[in-house]
Amino acid sequence: MNEFMFLYHNGGPPLSPREMQAVMPKWLAWMKELTDNGHVKDPGQPLGPAGKVVRGKQKTVTDGPFAEAKDVINGFTLILAKDLAEAAELAKGCPMLEGGGAVEVRPVMKM
Amino acid sequence: MSEYVYLFRFRGVDGPASPQEFQAVGQKWMKWLQEMTDNGHLKARGQRLEPTGKLVRGKQKTVTDGPFAEAKDLVGSYMLIEAEDLDQAAELSKGCPIFESGGFVEIRPVMKM
Repeated sequence: MNEFMFLYHNGGPPLSPREMQAVMPKWLAWMKELTDNGHVKDPGQPLGPAGKVVRGKQKTVTDGPFAEAKDVINGFTLILAKDLAEAAELAKGCPMLEGGGAVEVRPVMKM
Repeated sequence: MSEYVYLFRFRGVDGPASPQEFQAVGQKWMKWLQEMTDNGHLKARGQRLEPTGKLVRGKQKTVTDGPFAEAKDLVGSYMLIEAEDLDQAAELSKGCPIFESGGFVEIRPVMKM
């Protein structure tokens, strides 16, 4: 099994608390399925909509997450899968996709 | 103290030029990581990610090759830290050698569920 990272992109503005509550059961069900099938190495963290970006030799600090609202990363999970193709298949169960979001699937570098 | 994530964004493809440069940068990272650990800020070291990948998108669940952002904005690795607040988290990130390599850091709070 190899390690892959799922980086979740919202596809729109941050969810309201009510929208979050609605998607939560689907999210937990999907996570449970992945876990039960031995695919979750680390459940990861959900990220809040706030943020800062530190950039350049001057290390200038600007407010806000990086990227436009629809491209913002709002969480990640560390996954175990046979290969990139399987990891991408697994990503299709993510409830974020229904809302027009995206899952970026990246292989973890073998050191 | 609250948890924050550093998303290290830099060119995944063209990195340091020579093995010596690579080693020098690596040592700076180790030094910074040690500092963060000693000062009680490092919660978990994350993973480094390959610059390749796939993107699964939308209701159709379309699968395309290649990661999400432009190459220079790609998330190359991440780290979980603890800090007083977002401002302090940003300050702490300034010790990271990634700025010398032309990369940058995005700092995000871990959502309290």
